[in-house]
Amino acid sequence: MTRESFRRDINREFDALSGSPSPALSARVRAALTENRPARIGPPVWMAGVAAAMIALIIVGVLVASNLNRHQTGIVPGTIPSPSSSPVVSARPNATPSAQASPTSPAGRYACGNSAASATNPPLSAFVNAVRTGTHAGYDQVTIQFSNGQPSDVNFDPQSTATFMESPKGQAITLAGQDGILITIKGADGHTQYSGPTDFNTNYPELKEMRQVQDFEGTVQWALGLAHPGCYAYTFLTNPTRLVIYIQQ
Amino acid sequence: MSAVTEQRPTAMQRATQGDADAFAMVLDPLLNPAYRLAAVMLSDRMAAEDAVQEAAVKAWRNLGQLRGDESSLRAWFLSIVANECRMTRRRRWWSVVKLADVEPDRGRAGLSQEATTDLRRAIARLSPDERLPLVLYFYLDLPLDEVARTLRVSPAAAKSRIYRAAQRLRSDLTLEEVS
Repeated sequence: MTRESFRRDINREFDALSGSPSPALSARVRAALTENRPARIGPPVWMAGVAAAMIALIIVGVLVASNLNRHQTGIVPGTIPSPSSSPVVSARPNATPSAQASPTSPAGRYACGNSAASATNPPLSAFVNAVRTGTHAGYDQVTIQFSNGQPSDVNFDPQSTATFMESPKGQAITLAGQDGILITIKGADGHTQYSGPTDFNTNYPELKEMRQVQDFEGTVQWALGLAHPGCYAYTFLTNPTRLVIYIQQ
Repeated sequence: MSAVTEQRPTAMQRATQGDADAFAMVLDPLLNPAYRLAAVMLSDRMAAEDAVQEAAVKAWRNLGQLRGDESSLRAWFLSIVANECRMTRRRRWWSVVKLADVEPDRGRAGLSQEATTDLRRAIARLSPDERLPLVLYFYLDLPLDEVARTLRVSPAAAKSRIYRAAQRLRSDLTLEEVS
């Protein structure tokens, strides 16, 4: 028996076994397909899951970004609302966004220009009762705490040197670092309730030194010596009231 | 001067977009081989048509799992048909056990009456999974690589399965004859 005769014989037996399909099979299948819509046309389940996760991430990212932008252009740039706080500040946000700015600050996008914030119902004098510094991944942090509420005005003035004018002496002092930011707090008192250091030699990646350069006639000034031109973000937190400044590394 | 040719979506493209009529059109040429495959595996023509219909619906529901282009459709669909035949046999075994007194297995009874030749008896002794590679290779005349894709094995393994099944029908068959 040759291969071809084997094929012919086996096919004859298969033909006898199967016969031909009924003429109605095609219409029957078509009707079944029409009645049964596909449960899923497209990629497998795991791909759909990955796509859903990516879409969710994008949505979350957009929401976070819009939230950060809202903070930056809102009442106080970088202010994080607190359930226990009321909107007690108004601002003239003239901070210029940095080309290097990235939304990694806990208070939102970093700014590299001047900016200011003011409170709507400030105390006659906001008493500083604690000053702290710290460093974290991506930013150095300065916290100035007040015992009785938010001061009336706060100004942030970056500068290209680490030299500041000490007031009221009128004496120039140079901090560690190459650049600086002058923080001016109006309607504040830095000596009645605060007895801690007035010069922090931090030597952090960006914040090299921080020194109080004025505490006179209701104005407190802190100078920051920075390693590079400083971009920063800030926020007021409550319970207790504190000004938190994040300096981008 | 350039000619702008309108690109009309193929039936397969429309099928993947959810067009049932388009999918029926694509599937239509495959119904005959699918039926023959099922009829040989099940030895029951009515059950074969049911299996083909059910396989078509499953293919429609899972069209997104089709790997490759339209040329892969035949092997993919026949593999679904073969799997549906296996499931049908399992269900039928269960119904035969339950209903043996009132509904004997007509396919097997009919087959035994018709099994007059040695070859026919030998085919009847093959299991459905042994018949499958023979149907694909000899009866449907698929190339070896497509047989392999339908069986979801390598071409070498497909050739081996064809050879082993054919040898049970013809003991003097050589491997070279299956190529």
